[in-house]
Amino acid sequence: MAPLLSHPALRRLASVPPAYYLFGLLLLTLWLARPNMLNPNVLGIFIRQVVPLGILVLGQLLVMRVRSIDLSGGGVILLINYIITSRTFPEASGLTFALMALAIGGAVGLLNGYMVAKRRVSAVIVTLAVSIILVGFVQFLSSGKPPGDVPKYMNDIFNISFGVLPVPVLFWLVCTTIIWLIMQQSVYGRYVEAVGENADAAAFCGVPVERTVMIAHVIAGLIAAVAALVQTGSIAVGSVRVGLDLPILAVAATILGGVAFGRGEGGVWGPFFGTLCFALLFVVMTVFGTGEPGKLIAQGTIIMMAAIIYGQKRI
Amino acid sequence: MIALLRSGFNTRRSRHGLWGVPLVIGVALSLLLALTTDQFATRENLFNLASQAMPLLIAAIGQLFVILVGGLDLSIGSVISFTTAILSLEGPAIVLIPAVFVLAGLVGLINGVVITRLNVHPIIATLAMQYILLGITRFLRPVSGGEVPGVVIAAVQGSLLGLPYALLWGLITVGIAAKVLYGSRFGLHLFGIGGGVAAGMEDAARSYGVRVARNIVLAYVACSLFAALAGVFLAGRIVSGDPNVGLLSELDAITAVAIGGTQLSGGVGSLHGTVLGALIMALLANGMNMANISPFIQTAIKGGLLLAIVGLQSRKKMGL
Repeated sequence: MAPLLSHPALRRLASVPPAYYLFGLLLLTLWLARPNMLNPNVLGIFIRQVVPLGILVLGQLLVMRVRSIDLSGGGVILLINYIITSRTFPEASGLTFALMALAIGGAVGLLNGYMVAKRRVSAVIVTLAVSIILVGFVQFLSSGKPPGDVPKYMNDIFNISFGVLPVPVLFWLVCTTIIWLIMQQSVYGRYVEAVGENADAAAFCGVPVERTVMIAHVIAGLIAAVAALVQTGSIAVGSVRVGLDLPILAVAATILGGVAFGRGEGGVWGPFFGTLCFALLFVVMTVFGTGEPGKLIAQGTIIMMAAIIYGQKRI
Repeated sequence: MIALLRSGFNTRRSRHGLWGVPLVIGVALSLLLALTTDQFATRENLFNLASQAMPLLIAAIGQLFVILVGGLDLSIGSVISFTTAILSLEGPAIVLIPAVFVLAGLVGLINGVVITRLNVHPIIATLAMQYILLGITRFLRPVSGGEVPGVVIAAVQGSLLGLPYALLWGLITVGIAAKVLYGSRFGLHLFGIGGGVAAGMEDAARSYGVRVARNIVLAYVACSLFAALAGVFLAGRIVSGDPNVGLLSELDAITAVAIGGTQLSGGVGSLHGTVLGALIMALLANGMNMANISPFIQTAIKGGLLLAIVGLQSRKKMGL
């Protein structure tokens, strides 16, 4: 593998995140199999479905850039979805719900950040355990039964579109641009990059490593709360299973987009295309009639292949 | 004996880790349950407990192998479900049972090779494997059903002179693991590799002539084989194939290993600690069942326990 990649042109090609190749491949497949699916209206609907994932990816890429991971998004989304749909707070307005969601996301992010950065606990274990606690808690509150309906105004906002551009997709683009600007322009973005490249070197250069990792987790928690609000808007009835597979998809999309544990060639737009790949993948799998098992196998294989491609370039 | 016991409370000097604490907790928990409930200290309940604890115990022993080298295997839950799905297929037992172990060994081999030769982080590799295997399992058996070979059911549910075979399964598994971990070169190398990884020197063992990559691959194969054994036991207990039976059991296994005083960063840990950890988990589940605590809350409590235990383990590395 190593001599094959040593040619400059090939090396240049290999440094492009896998997401762009996969995106092209999936578009080609779709164009060959079902050309009529390739119109903006149809694709807009499919892309709208992955907006919660795309927003969650923004937090994931931040924590993965500092060599951590956040798998607690599923629990956060489930809890917020339950609070909004269960009528536990019948008088609450949309703003109250949004603030409650952000408070939950921030608190979970703070706990994750504290455990990972200060207590030096494995991030996978911490965030998985947090997710399990939240899921168990929600399932206990709801006794496993689906809660009530989603407030109508949330669905209404989700369903607006400007021409072919749905509002959620626009919102996703705005969020991505904000994170992109933070990574590009702010001091914090530089810290994230430094910690990701080499945490020890960053510490010697005076970068507050622990604080950087902690803030990354808090931001990821807040972003998970935003994703939860969008996810809730996308469904009509609450559920006790909503969003549980999103964190792992977010990890997959982020790796596909060229951001993985300290490596950041993909920037913010690589993972953005990683998410779009999943939107197209769902279209392709719907077209070919692949069931749930096929979907799981495809997800696992994509994570594995993307990670293997990245493992090769380390040499 | 006293020296051995003392080593269980000494974190600095023992490679066995802090196994004295789970011993005390386990004994205290048993006494508490025996004194507060009258169902606990009955024959049926204790045998039942042994049978409930066994899959977790076997899976946790497998997980111990990879944790000792500083790895983690998140795919064992899927391996367990996959095993019950294979066993419930149409076919003679003489084909199905070896097939289970060959396939599980293959899964471990793929995990190990992807991690060591292709430079993928263990958590990502085994997480991907978890999804792929779950997909295959759901394809083979979308909902629970089918029938497990009679010989498996007999080997799990039978009893000898009043003692259930489940105890025998535990003794044999612990015996094999003890021989491999403490009585073989492979076991010693696992501790050596893990010690280097935990100290931030991945190549420490290699400079002593240990074939690091090969031993790590073998650890993942061993882990998958133990998971398959746990799956066979579970299949014998539930009598049919179930695509969801192993769900989250990788986390239970990690919790059991961590409770037993094994350091998740590698190199420090013990088989007896892991056995104690698995027993504590089973005692907790048994006690919570008798106290009629909702299974959902039980899951949450187990998550909280994992969080608390790993929060007490300090390590150098930050992040994953």
